[in-house]
Amino acid sequence: MIRTPIGGALLLAVLTSLAAAPAAAAPPARRPAAPKPPAAPAPKASTAEVPIPSEDGFEHSVVRIINYSQRGDWFSPWDVTGVRASSGTGFVIEGGLLLTNAHVVSDARLLLLYLHGDPTPHKARAVMLGHDCDLALVRPEEKDLLTDIPVLPLGGLPPLRSAVETYGYPAGGDQISSTRGVVSRIETQVYAHSGVDRHVAIQTDAAINPGNSGGPMIQNGRVVGVAFQGTDMLENTGFGIPVEVIRHFLDDAKDGKYDGYPDLAIFESNLENPAARRRAGMRDGESGVRVDFVNDGGSAEGHLEVGDVLLEVDGTPIASDGSVLMEGLRFDYGLMVDRHQIGENLKVRILRDGERRDLVFPLVAHPGTSRYASQYDVLPRYYIYAGLVFEPLNVEMLETSGRDWVVSADKRLVQEQIFRPLSDPKALLREPVVLLRRLDDPVNINIAWYRGQLVTRANGKEIDSLAGLIEAIESNQAPFHVLELAEPGRFIVLDRKGSDEASPRILERYGVLKDRNP
Amino acid sequence: MRGRRGIGASALAAAALFCGLPGTAAARPAAARQAFESGIVGLTISAQGWDQDRPWAKGAPQSRVALATVVEGPYLLTSAQMVSDATLIEVEKLGGSMRVPAKVVLVDPEIDLAILGVEAPGFFSDLKPVPIADAMPTEGAVQSVRWRQRQLEVSTSRVSRIEVQVTSLGGLEHPFLLVTTDLKGGGWAEPVFADGKFIGLTVSQDEQVARILPVDMISGFLAMARGPKPYPGFSGLGVRWQINEDPVLTASLRLPGVPRGVLVTGSNWGGSACGVLKPRDLLLSLDGHDIDASGFYRHPRYGLLRFTTITTDRHRAGDVLKAEVWREGKKMMLDVPLKATHTNGDLIPDRVPDRAPPYLIAGGLVLRELDGSYIRSWGDEWRRKAPIRLQLRYWLDSKDQEPGARRIVILSSVLPAAYNLGYHGLSDVAVTEINGRKVDSIAAAEEALKHPEGEFHRLVLEPNGQMAQVILDARTFDDATAEILESYRVPVVGREAPAPPDLGPACGQ
Repeated sequence: MIRTPIGGALLLAVLTSLAAAPAAAAPPARRPAAPKPPAAPAPKASTAEVPIPSEDGFEHSVVRIINYSQRGDWFSPWDVTGVRASSGTGFVIEGGLLLTNAHVVSDARLLLLYLHGDPTPHKARAVMLGHDCDLALVRPEEKDLLTDIPVLPLGGLPPLRSAVETYGYPAGGDQISSTRGVVSRIETQVYAHSGVDRHVAIQTDAAINPGNSGGPMIQNGRVVGVAFQGTDMLENTGFGIPVEVIRHFLDDAKDGKYDGYPDLAIFESNLENPAARRRAGMRDGESGVRVDFVNDGGSAEGHLEVGDVLLEVDGTPIASDGSVLMEGLRFDYGLMVDRHQIGENLKVRILRDGERRDLVFPLVAHPGTSRYASQYDVLPRYYIYAGLVFEPLNVEMLETSGRDWVVSADKRLVQEQIFRPLSDPKALLREPVVLLRRLDDPVNINIAWYRGQLVTRANGKEIDSLAGLIEAIESNQAPFHVLELAEPGRFIVLDRKGSDEASPRILERYGVLKDRNP
Repeated sequence: MRGRRGIGASALAAAALFCGLPGTAAARPAAARQAFESGIVGLTISAQGWDQDRPWAKGAPQSRVALATVVEGPYLLTSAQMVSDATLIEVEKLGGSMRVPAKVVLVDPEIDLAILGVEAPGFFSDLKPVPIADAMPTEGAVQSVRWRQRQLEVSTSRVSRIEVQVTSLGGLEHPFLLVTTDLKGGGWAEPVFADGKFIGLTVSQDEQVARILPVDMISGFLAMARGPKPYPGFSGLGVRWQINEDPVLTASLRLPGVPRGVLVTGSNWGGSACGVLKPRDLLLSLDGHDIDASGFYRHPRYGLLRFTTITTDRHRAGDVLKAEVWREGKKMMLDVPLKATHTNGDLIPDRVPDRAPPYLIAGGLVLRELDGSYIRSWGDEWRRKAPIRLQLRYWLDSKDQEPGARRIVILSSVLPAAYNLGYHGLSDVAVTEINGRKVDSIAAAEEALKHPEGEFHRLVLEPNGQMAQVILDARTFDDATAEILESYRVPVVGREAPAPPDLGPACGQ
């Protein structure tokens, strides 16, 4: 769920990145080096229809996945990284598909499957990826490969303190392993794969290790979770994606396209203080949260206003700390929004100017959230002119300064990424552009500022997208290009004719095939 | 060195400190010792700063041992940092058995110098002001002197280089003498000598490299201290600038010839350049010194120095310098009246020595003015641990003071009580408005809280993604605050600060 692309999730990411600079120690690890915990959901079929495999049949449904992957290089965006091998787990669901984690199969150049007891590698490909919930569907290239393998049925949310068994192929061996643990906690967590999305997660004390990712968590013969991540902060702890999230993913994927989670894109604050509730005009015993800010581009734009008190969502009362009661547990009310698909309507009851009213409005995804999430299965967008390399501002670009970019990146970039969207409703509709680096050449060698600088204007035009920068440069007929930077008074000048002549020479010298990936 | 010419016993003795001439070895230690014994005293300073988390409370008492140098007056010269937050200053002479109290006569924290007076009768009778050099040396050996176990410790250091650096409060730049020393643990205002003359005080030391505040600045300070009142102070240009090495940038500004001068990107309200220099000006020369494209000028004695020191080189506030400026395709000569630098006029002062932090407890909310001391209270790792939002303000906005926006008031923490339920998790967030009034000081916050909005106090927070405003019950505010003060043993509800200095008219750019 991204209730808002920033706010709690981003602040948590900021604090986490500050605290865990040396290694990915704390949850959420931004990008697990090797897939850590597995979780196992089951697909859409009702539990009554799918036969429950026998106890020693679960292994047959659990598959080892090897991923040879390659990512884009955000520091040299015209290039790609080296090939990386990783492994994880998946399991058979209906439709001849495997369910696993998105992080097990992201950026794949070659996926190989190993069935239980079968040494033969089988080629496969990821057919559906949900990076915002760390789930993926994989299909073997061989038709009917999975026909005789039992499908694992989906269960429900496991009770606290109940036992679960996790199956997978953790590091340290090639055979399937199973571990038993209890459900110790169920609450919202940041999903490390994107680094910014928050959904419910099941915490268990079952030993879950790299390689387990994507494996099923089984209880009473049904899948109750997909093991997916761990944490270095707690011993013997692993996390699973619950069936609710799995079903959301599978339902979304039915039409052959994954759309993702909707965003309200608001900030709200608690109304725990009696004076705050009284000032808001609430009655005794009434509870809710105050809308403090509405980002343009989200579901709430045009429907919710600053100062509104959210009393109920989909008929469920919201407590003054922002929580709702679901299945005996308290979760952030955003979970109610999460249960919807994009395009569905959300019903909220609000208090506005002393009047209680019901609103119904459609849910949309916010286009600006990608700036905060790790990027997968895409190559970096960029533009190179006169040896100056420009990229859109996003977390991948910021991480070229290091994992502790909050501390090490240019301060104006940090301010733009984290704090501007807290005060400017339109900030997330813009695409800030960064001068990332310089490919040295006589035409640019004397430029004073060239590393990690936010470009605000180019040739007199305000820059709010990479496309805008390209247009401002390519349409300029004046003798000079003037790029103004975020730091007041700071600017760069390029000789237009000399730069036009130098650009192809620079690309050739540095082995850059294309000057752009817009 | 004069000693080599053998022009006199005293000269020989002085020179013998450094030249190692045979035949004078027996005279050297005695002469040097006498010079140092009569010109240097030890200081023992009791100091106590403030607890940054609980600004109503003092921090732990500390004790420092430092040096002071006898100067004409007679007075004792030391660094301002040594006497910062002092509760008691005591001085003793080498061989003396008693400490006597001293008090600060004049302190200029911007240049980091202080002079002390001693009222004890006859204290100075066996002391002698040190001979002061005209300028700092540019090469060769120097001597650092200090007390150690009631013995003089004289360490030889070698001049490494002269470098323009920012002073400890960040408002001025001037040359410092960097020396490689065998003195360990220096930086406590040890006097430094060359050829028997005083050439500066050591203000910091990093491993074996000591940083010396040179006699050039000290002489200026002493002259101003003795001169007509009020003390004028040193002046910084107060300009933001960048190097101008790019011929394309220079050509775009229509300056003919090779790149020269520096590009002005802005000026600070209260600085000397405010209202004089504008963004996109090229500052070609200042006070007759041509400035190159890298920002350096040629000092007649010290070679290439960064131009930012021109205003502190034998100048003081009140002087007027001529600036040659290239603006919008034309050269012009402008007058730059030098204004005294007061870093406590900054929006976020780096440090305000000897000032108790202003604060206010409002319904259990701890409000205070933001400064660098608070941000650095997160320890050595403050760059990683201090709240990022405050850090960004500190790095980016420290000198962005404007009329009506003189300080940033933050809600640093909450003293939890039933009265402020719902806000216990708030910390380190700026407060921009209280009850509809802009707040840029503790005094303004206090005034705003006298005017509730009906039954409520409403504190608007800088956007933070967590909470936009704090609502408190105004009817029970006073009683609740009193109860919280008692519960948390806070002796006083608040403390105002002296108003920031008047910075004159806005820069108008």
